[in-house]
Amino acid sequence: MSTAKETGFLGKLPGALPGLALLIGTMVVIRLWVEPWMANAVVFDQKGWLIKVTHLNYILLGIIMGMLYRNVLFGGKLPEIFADGFRLSRLFIKTGIILLGSLYTVQAIVKLGALAIFLIGGFVVLSIVMVLWLGKLFGMERSMTGVMANACSICGVSAAVATAPAVEAKATHVAYAIATILGFGILTMFISPFIGHALGLNDLQYGAWVGTGILNSGQVLAACLAFNPNVAPGTAVSVGEIWNIMRVISIPFAVFAVTVWYWAGHEQPQGQRKSLGTLLVEKFPVFVLGFLGMVLLTSIGAFGDVGIKGGPPASATIKMIRDWMQWIFGIGLVGMGGYIDFKELRQAGGTPLKVGLIVGVTKYVLALVVVLLIRDYLVEI
Amino acid sequence: MNAARPIAVAVDGSPASNAPLAEALRLAQAGNRPLIGIFVLDTGWVDYIGNDWQSAAGARQGFLDYIRDQLETQAEAARAQFAAATRDHPAAHFTVIPGDPLETLCELMARGEAETLIAGREAFQVCGRPSVKTLARDLAQRVPSLRIV
Repeated sequence: MSTAKETGFLGKLPGALPGLALLIGTMVVIRLWVEPWMANAVVFDQKGWLIKVTHLNYILLGIIMGMLYRNVLFGGKLPEIFADGFRLSRLFIKTGIILLGSLYTVQAIVKLGALAIFLIGGFVVLSIVMVLWLGKLFGMERSMTGVMANACSICGVSAAVATAPAVEAKATHVAYAIATILGFGILTMFISPFIGHALGLNDLQYGAWVGTGILNSGQVLAACLAFNPNVAPGTAVSVGEIWNIMRVISIPFAVFAVTVWYWAGHEQPQGQRKSLGTLLVEKFPVFVLGFLGMVLLTSIGAFGDVGIKGGPPASATIKMIRDWMQWIFGIGLVGMGGYIDFKELRQAGGTPLKVGLIVGVTKYVLALVVVLLIRDYLVEI
Repeated sequence: MNAARPIAVAVDGSPASNAPLAEALRLAQAGNRPLIGIFVLDTGWVDYIGNDWQSAAGARQGFLDYIRDQLETQAEAARAQFAAATRDHPAAHFTVIPGDPLETLCELMARGEAETLIAGREAFQVCGRPSVKTLARDLAQRVPSLRIV
């Protein structure tokens, strides 16, 4: 699709430097000056009011700055000089997720993962069934319904783009599905920390809730770090990301299931037919393997003590990795903010928006109710 | 000099382009001017799906290839629509330009490549991103010689 001359990563790097400098510079200013200033500023006779009441931290400030760059400063389009650097934000976040593997041991994954599989699996199936039913009820085109089913049930944009070719979705179908889920995701990313704090949720409950209830991966990460910016075992991000990874892994399976539903009773063209094995190879998110590799290395003690509650404190290496992660996520999320285009989101509408909102809100609220109901059974890691 | 400057028309191969194409042809024939049909192959999809970051490279590229196929099919439909409408007009030329629809058309007019741009209210919506819905309105703000049909 890109008209730019295809070059390798190293070839692209010089062109990415201005954008990269803007991303890094923004996060440096936020973390070294803005956040400390907000923590000390006296508003309404209260020191730190800006942080205590607005719950703004470097994560949300970074995303807001990214959004301001694109939609206000640059008038809706990233200038060419910064575009390549902003594209690297995805690499930052994926690298951060891989490093996040250092928060877990295999035992912790097994303990938390079983519950995550149960909850995530339940919500994925429930959301797919709900979208298929609503699609029929509202007379939505079958291919549009297929895209929305996976977009609302797994992880937003990834699932929408993975499903579209398999169900012959038109470009406009995918465009509206993406606009709907991103719009909803951005809203939940900003309101979830407030709700979490207002309800007095702890990190475990909050991570389980947003990991299940928010539609899009990037926004799960942001919502978790906005609730608690610390990166350590048992924090919101460590719980939410395990939930999220379980969901991301299910993409090839969900694409397969929705494809089978779409073509039921019809002969799928020969060239388009793909087995589950092919889908697994094509659609499996490779960074998950890096994450699992990191978990394995952590489990065998490659980085020293992890610092699990009640155990020995985290090693210097682990502490350094966690410090890097905060910077890496912060920089990546400024870039993510830079991809939020209000002009596109404003145009979301029609039946996809209706279906997306009904399913999204149901999932978001139901996930909170379920997490509150099972809070005594949630496993600490 | 002005008499020879072409009339440009946005054509997307859908029924929504029939009226603008007819109007552009009428103007071109009346003024004995060249007519340029334009289809913009939207390259904004890369950025549009860019705020996602967890899909496999294969899923993302597979999708972009899939969308590109759709856009190219639409471009061919537009070419056929333009050719059928202008078969009696000798100075008619169709072009496919990759880029953002709004920016591409604005730049083309800013370079003075045509005197008037004609576009339908639903130009390029047949295969566009959501923001293309307001393309005609956005063009009206930036292209003084635009005629929306």
